[in-house]
Amino acid sequence: MFKLKRFVPVALLSTVALAACDGPQTRPTQVTIVFRHGKVPGGPNLLRELLDRFENESGIRVVDETLPASTDIQHQYFITTLEGGRSDLDVVSMDVIWVPEFSRAGWLLPLSERVPGAARTLFFRAPIDACTFAGDLYGVPWYVDAGVLYYRKDILEAYGMGIPESYPELAGQVRRVLAREPTLYGFLWQGKQYEGLVCCALEVLASFGGSVVSKGRVTIASPEAREAFRFMREMVASGMSPPLVTTADEEATRLVFGSGRAVFLRNWLYAWSLFEREGSPVRGKVGVAPIPPGPSGTGGSTLGGWQLGIARQSSHPDQAWALIEFLTRPDSQARLARTVGYRPSRRSLYDDAALIRDIPVLPQLVGSIDRAHPRPVTALYPALSQILQPEISAIITGVKGVDEALEDARRELQLVLDEMACDP
Amino acid sequence: MTDQVSERRTALAFLLPGALAVTVLVFVPLVWVVWLSFRRAMPVFGVDRFAGLENFVHLFSDSRFWAAAGNTLYFAVVAVSIEVILGLAIALLIHQRFRGRGLVRAAVLIPWVIPTVVTARMWEWIYNPEFGLMNYLLRTVSLISGPVSWLGDPFWAIHAAILADVWKTTPFAALLLLAGLASIPPDLADAARVDGAGLWQVFTQITLPLLRPALLVTVLFRFLDSFRVFDAIYVLTGGGPANTTETLAIYTYKVLFQTMRFGYGSAIALSTFAMSGVASIVIVGLGSRSARATRSPDDAP
Repeated sequence: MFKLKRFVPVALLSTVALAACDGPQTRPTQVTIVFRHGKVPGGPNLLRELLDRFENESGIRVVDETLPASTDIQHQYFITTLEGGRSDLDVVSMDVIWVPEFSRAGWLLPLSERVPGAARTLFFRAPIDACTFAGDLYGVPWYVDAGVLYYRKDILEAYGMGIPESYPELAGQVRRVLAREPTLYGFLWQGKQYEGLVCCALEVLASFGGSVVSKGRVTIASPEAREAFRFMREMVASGMSPPLVTTADEEATRLVFGSGRAVFLRNWLYAWSLFEREGSPVRGKVGVAPIPPGPSGTGGSTLGGWQLGIARQSSHPDQAWALIEFLTRPDSQARLARTVGYRPSRRSLYDDAALIRDIPVLPQLVGSIDRAHPRPVTALYPALSQILQPEISAIITGVKGVDEALEDARRELQLVLDEMACDP
Repeated sequence: MTDQVSERRTALAFLLPGALAVTVLVFVPLVWVVWLSFRRAMPVFGVDRFAGLENFVHLFSDSRFWAAAGNTLYFAVVAVSIEVILGLAIALLIHQRFRGRGLVRAAVLIPWVIPTVVTARMWEWIYNPEFGLMNYLLRTVSLISGPVSWLGDPFWAIHAAILADVWKTTPFAALLLLAGLASIPPDLADAARVDGAGLWQVFTQITLPLLRPALLVTVLFRFLDSFRVFDAIYVLTGGGPANTTETLAIYTYKVLFQTMRFGYGSAIALSTFAMSGVASIVIVGLGSRSARATRSPDDAP
């Protein structure tokens, strides 16, 4: 290890020296960095093409490696690799909820000096907040995702209804449609016991003015939260959301809505292009709106998306940074938006006329991303989510009453927070 | 003398790889888990200290652990009972001589050779409320009026998982029992029949008692296997809804690899290990006691 570290500056110096000699035929010793990331939709060569361009521009070689598709498994992979301190990892692609955990563990290099305040304002605020831990920035938003409300334009028009501004309004619209067309489904969302359920619940919670943790205190059993979760249970119990939601993940609901069987769907941004695909039964009939902010008006989407960070054990942090800078540059983001469908993390691209011409839906998304909330930004997030998942599942399936489940969740959450507070 | 020494050396040389493999692959990790279970180890928070029995004390008051233990036991007992009874029926059937027996024997094994994750994905589709085969069939015969969310219903989810497990592992039980049947000399049944015993009498008086060792092995294997069930349920429900299908293995996985509490996770794993140890002692005990009870006095040494 030490030998390697000592070797690096030498290698860098010799690179510079060689470059200074400017011998046209001598190729400087190339630095190689390793970039590990999740599966790229549409195939890995779409990203590779961009990395090749980076290699030509910078003279740095990039080895990129696609990890298994499941986010949980990627999480586990990074944890074992980062904890084990393996040196063959420079640039890490992280789900938005991992950044505080990895930062707390000391597995990432702080990027605050590389990204000054002014540069940060060019990105959406929510992902920057999610990448900030204990006052330091540990990741640069690469592409963003957010929960949105898909609705059937044709159905809403036929009933003379506008986009719902609040959850109760949405429920009222569903009731009206289902009264006339009982074979349709009302509102689909992800109710399986997993991370996606927490994402949906946080959106309802925010719209009713509630929160999970606020200023170090557990607020999950507040009157606002009770009202929010009573609403969720009511959606299932009254049949406004069909029983299938209690076992559904993103794809399960996307397929049902995509076959034209439902009026509303809460899902991530990726679903849009699938609805608009040729041969899709709902093509041209789907609208996309922000998550209803009401009744309290404070609601917004749950933030998703991926961030790039530098592993602490990287022997080439400067070269790793060069890659991050390149991949989050406007032109690279625009390119990935066109080829892969990644939604840019830079706000300005949503006003870019050329990009809008290719991706007409962009301006409709900006409101949702602007109003997105990061999930609780704490290194304890995985533990919080593990406590919330079964309790919310118990509420929506009627296994526990709302008050009982929230009280259990509050007690468990408080226990975890206290425990961490006394363990320095 | 020298011959004996060199013989012993050869024997040691042959034993060494096995001993080494067991030490490295079984003993070392086991000791490590025991060591971890007495520590508070959370790498994310830089916590790694000795905690004595803290983890085990916490375990006692952890209702999620006990719920998972209950789910695991329920799953194992119900699934294994059905599998052994069904397996026995299938074994008796394919033990008979009939045309195409080889083909039937091979066909019965198909579910067993498909990887569990694949069968679980398949069952996930069968149970799909909207597009699944299960609802389609039950609606065709008018047993249900609307779609049932099998995996999203707190009552049905665990039973749906049991059915998927029964479908997959009954062939294994049948295979073990078939081997047991094959080891019973046919002349015993022939002799009984000559003495005027009916089919049922032959089955209860000859076949079952002689099949007891095979039955014991089958129950033990299947019980230990289903006590650590993870993959099928993880794919089908992830432990939901409301933790009604969360088994000990799934809880352990979540604590160890999703919330990174290595100490507590190891304590849960160790307790699971202890529980299945106790359970297998009970099963073996019950099996051999009932064997002694049915043995006729002539057999006594």
